[in-house]
Amino acid sequence: MNKALLPILARLHSLQTVSHVSPDGGRLIASRSDPNPIIVVLREINETVLARVLQFTTEGGTSLAIEVAGRRILRVAEAKGLEGAEPCLAAPVLDDEHKDTLIKLLQALAKPRQEIKLTVGSSTQGSDGISVGLPVALIADLLLVELNGLDAEVVSDASPPPQVEPQAPIVVVGEGGSAIGRFARANGPVLMAWLILGGEEDGIFEGPEEMVEHLKTFLDDEIKDLTAQLDRLSAAPGQPICLGLGASLSEGHSLLCARAEGSILLGLAEGDCTQTLMQAWLSALQ
Amino acid sequence: MGVVEKLASVTAAYPQARAVAFADLSSSMVLASQGRANVTQEHLDRLCREARTSFDDPLFGLSVQAFGEPHSAIVMGPDSLRVFLRSEDDPADAICCVCDHGIDLAGFLAKLRETLHQISTGV
Repeated sequence: MNKALLPILARLHSLQTVSHVSPDGGRLIASRSDPNPIIVVLREINETVLARVLQFTTEGGTSLAIEVAGRRILRVAEAKGLEGAEPCLAAPVLDDEHKDTLIKLLQALAKPRQEIKLTVGSSTQGSDGISVGLPVALIADLLLVELNGLDAEVVSDASPPPQVEPQAPIVVVGEGGSAIGRFARANGPVLMAWLILGGEEDGIFEGPEEMVEHLKTFLDDEIKDLTAQLDRLSAAPGQPICLGLGASLSEGHSLLCARAEGSILLGLAEGDCTQTLMQAWLSALQ
Repeated sequence: MGVVEKLASVTAAYPQARAVAFADLSSSMVLASQGRANVTQEHLDRLCREARTSFDDPLFGLSVQAFGEPHSAIVMGPDSLRVFLRSEDDPADAICCVCDHGIDLAGFLAKLRETLHQISTGV
């Protein structure tokens, strides 16, 4: 298997995992059948590129709120029911001397076979060029956690590469990708053709070339008016926003236009968008 | 059942709907609404303007080229979700909603579609 495909396949695999939205707005990320929920916790942190406060709460009543950005753990904002959190809580920014304490907190929080809920809040940190804090990849390495999550399924190098259908090329962009790219991929095959303009994944597309070319022509011609339309729907110019238009959105064709982090996505969907759209959006914004 | 009662049946079935309004998009006027106590007339007027923006060019024009006139729109921001449905019988009639994330979108859309049809046709 082409190892560059692993992040994409890991993301697709994770989307098959049941992730319930609880009535208070949090999201259930681990259930009582999970033997090792710390993996899910670290992957949630790893998929958080924008600056956010992630609050993990267990059914046992313990909770840990951490401020993250750019896949780095910047600080521990709050710890309830978890002993030994003081050194991390006292630190304005976590550094190497805190990693053992942080690991113990994460292990104490993410005990096997219990429900863990994640609530995402806003952060005052910027998201660009973050170089402080502890990289989640470092914590994962120390805990022997594979952030891509396909260690049991990786085919040996001797196996033939998977067949890729020529009318739907997948462009590999590396681990995670941009928020807009993650949103596009999280919608799955219902989003039959899409293209990103601007930002980290500028020019990345998926779908039949003729359809993508049509979308590109539209973006080239109408980007200014499209940006203005999105601004009128946003709380402030440039803010993340997604507009979907369709005959019904649950069948037939629909158009999706989304913006985040300086990128714009335009895509054509066929079929029922309602099953994936909202979850894909919320996941991408984390 | 009057228009207000029909809208109330939507908010009763979907508590995550913060406000549901029946509007005339041609005059940008909200004709009836139901919702949480903190939803003001200003919120409803803005919701109506956003409905018109959603069904506006350039994306409306692209939809028409690609598959025909759209009658459904969804707008997702960081904190909320807005859903706008235009009546197929009279496209100026619309239901406009603002909801919490996490609502059962498929079920909500079906309920809205049924409600709008009832209001537009006077059933």
